[in-house]
Amino acid sequence: MKTALMLSVLLMLTSAFALYAVNHDTRKLEAGVAAQEKTIEKVQKDIAILKAERAHLARPERIGKEARELGLVPANRNQFTGYADPDPLKRGRGRIESAEDAVGAGGS
Amino acid sequence: MSVRVTIQAGVDDEAFRTPPPPGEEQRRAARLKSQQRADRFRSLAAIGLMVLAFLAVSGQLIRLSMSGQEQERLSVNAPMATAFARPDIVDRKGRLLAGDVVMPSLFADPKIILDVDEAATKLAGVLPDIDVDRVREAISDRDKRFVWLRRGLSPAQAQKVHDLGLPGLSFRQELRRAYPLGRLAGHVLGYVDIDNKGRAGIEHYLDRVKHVDAVHGASLSGKAPLRLTLDVAVQFAVEDELATALKRYKAKAASALVMDVRNGDIVAAVSLPGVDPVVSSQRFERARIDRLTQGTYELGSIFKTMTVALALEQGHTLETVVDVRKPLEVESYTIKDLHPAGRPLSVAEIFLKSSNVGSGLLALGAGQDAQEAFLERLGLLGDLATEAGSVAKPTRPAVWGEIETVTVSYGHGLAVSPLQFVAASAPLINGGYLVKPRFVAQTHDGEQLSQERKQVVSAETSRQIRAIMRWNVAGKVGTGSRADVPGLRLGGKTGTAEIAGVGGYQEEAVISSFLSAFPMDAPSYVMLVSLFEPQGTKETKGKITAGLNAAPTTARIASRIAPLLGFIPGPAVEAVVDR
Repeated sequence: MKTALMLSVLLMLTSAFALYAVNHDTRKLEAGVAAQEKTIEKVQKDIAILKAERAHLARPERIGKEARELGLVPANRNQFTGYADPDPLKRGRGRIESAEDAVGAGGS
Repeated sequence: MSVRVTIQAGVDDEAFRTPPPPGEEQRRAARLKSQQRADRFRSLAAIGLMVLAFLAVSGQLIRLSMSGQEQERLSVNAPMATAFARPDIVDRKGRLLAGDVVMPSLFADPKIILDVDEAATKLAGVLPDIDVDRVREAISDRDKRFVWLRRGLSPAQAQKVHDLGLPGLSFRQELRRAYPLGRLAGHVLGYVDIDNKGRAGIEHYLDRVKHVDAVHGASLSGKAPLRLTLDVAVQFAVEDELATALKRYKAKAASALVMDVRNGDIVAAVSLPGVDPVVSSQRFERARIDRLTQGTYELGSIFKTMTVALALEQGHTLETVVDVRKPLEVESYTIKDLHPAGRPLSVAEIFLKSSNVGSGLLALGAGQDAQEAFLERLGLLGDLATEAGSVAKPTRPAVWGEIETVTVSYGHGLAVSPLQFVAASAPLINGGYLVKPRFVAQTHDGEQLSQERKQVVSAETSRQIRAIMRWNVAGKVGTGSRADVPGLRLGGKTGTAEIAGVGGYQEEAVISSFLSAFPMDAPSYVMLVSLFEPQGTKETKGKITAGLNAAPTTARIASRIAPLLGFIPGPAVEAVVDR
């Protein structure tokens, strides 16, 4: 009886210690999860700002201005050709100099 | 241990106890029995109460799980929420148009502010647009512990305020709506209020369809972005060209709409002067109303597209000849052509030369009931709404008599919003079926779409309208030759509508419009460009007709947006239709 009692007490103490260890680990993990969630939230907020900044930088108004400075104009039929007509410059009005050229005869 | 002591005490007590008097034993036994009964009753009562309590708790749990949990949660959260987390709004290709960002907002605790004047003055030094008197008044009330001073500061501004080191000022992180493309598509996007709640346009739509979460603090929405049908690049190109046209033709306002004629997807919707979604007050300025949806206008001769379609549906052909030599006398009115032909005209010529007399005769031939029913069928007389809000109701003639039948045939007497007109013109171009204009992208497959199609005009009528619209641009006699874009096979119809004023129509104040579609051999997009009160310029030789301003504006826009929409300008195919 005494041995059983002692064993029970020992078992109880071991269980209590194990429980405490598990509890401690759980709390530690919870703290880790909370810290990671906080980091995720912060990163998400940073991503939101970066997305907005990227969209702002890629706004057509800015890209269009840079494209014009590089001499780019909308696609024009004189830039395309078929198998039977390999030289578009001979067919059309020649080199595209401006957006007005791209509009063509009906453009003004 | 206590049990053992009790037993020992009992034994000791027994050993030294004096014998009880006679009858005492029975009384004691009876008392003991009565006490045992009372104890049992108390135990049963306690157990009963606990069972009842457990039953109550279980019952409550079952009730909560059975009843609508969402509603319970909402009713608890809503009053506590300080802001609304909104999903991003992106264009058809996923480019960001609006999104939430976390920004600091400045508040004060007046009770711990030491010097009100110093605080107000120093704040004005770093936030120049702040109202000093309002701030001073707000922080003077020492009974308050929380007063907003400025919501939505930039990080740089927040740092400057922080550097002031004033006690009683603090920051709270809040969600603010950012529009990285500025005023692009401002009318469509709408705006949000100070708590990030949608109040107009697509922003309001997000609230209506419950895509917005009430949150406490600054938690971003986890919902998928809302994808619009708009194309940022096309929208910008249209806005840019329209702004140029506004200056070039000295117009008061301008609007343009580009819609996919096959499914109603609106690719670009522009109304100038535009609005900035961040400056919500701009939406209430009369000059900045969204002319595409919030105004109704008599759009003039572009209505002849409907009249000719009606005549074709009634059995006429493009070759049917109508005698337009004399002015048309209806009731007490006389309808004349600006440039009388002096000979009978075919239905095709009535369209190409934009003859009011011919158009009136075609409408009278069809009859007022048939005309009204036809316009009703096209959706031109009913209510219309898109995700961005309801569209202004058409203004119908008070009485639809003979003269109204004639004037409506060439676009006077019936005022509609440009968006509703574009939606109604789609069946005349796409093969005859109605489409509902929309700003939010859908994921229908082709089969579903074909099942939902409602045919309102015959495919043959639509084919002939396409032919004549192309002829009007590519031919020698049409009014829309300045809208031609080499390789694009664009077709269209001009409309110059005098604006009604005091005492009648004003000759010098017009709305110039050009209804177009491209490419006409396989139409994909319909476009309506309108210039409000353009002035004569050197380029137009002082004239204000649509063929000289709206048509070339259409050409400029089309030449820019066609490549963006995937059209490679092909070799010249002028005879795309069998005319």
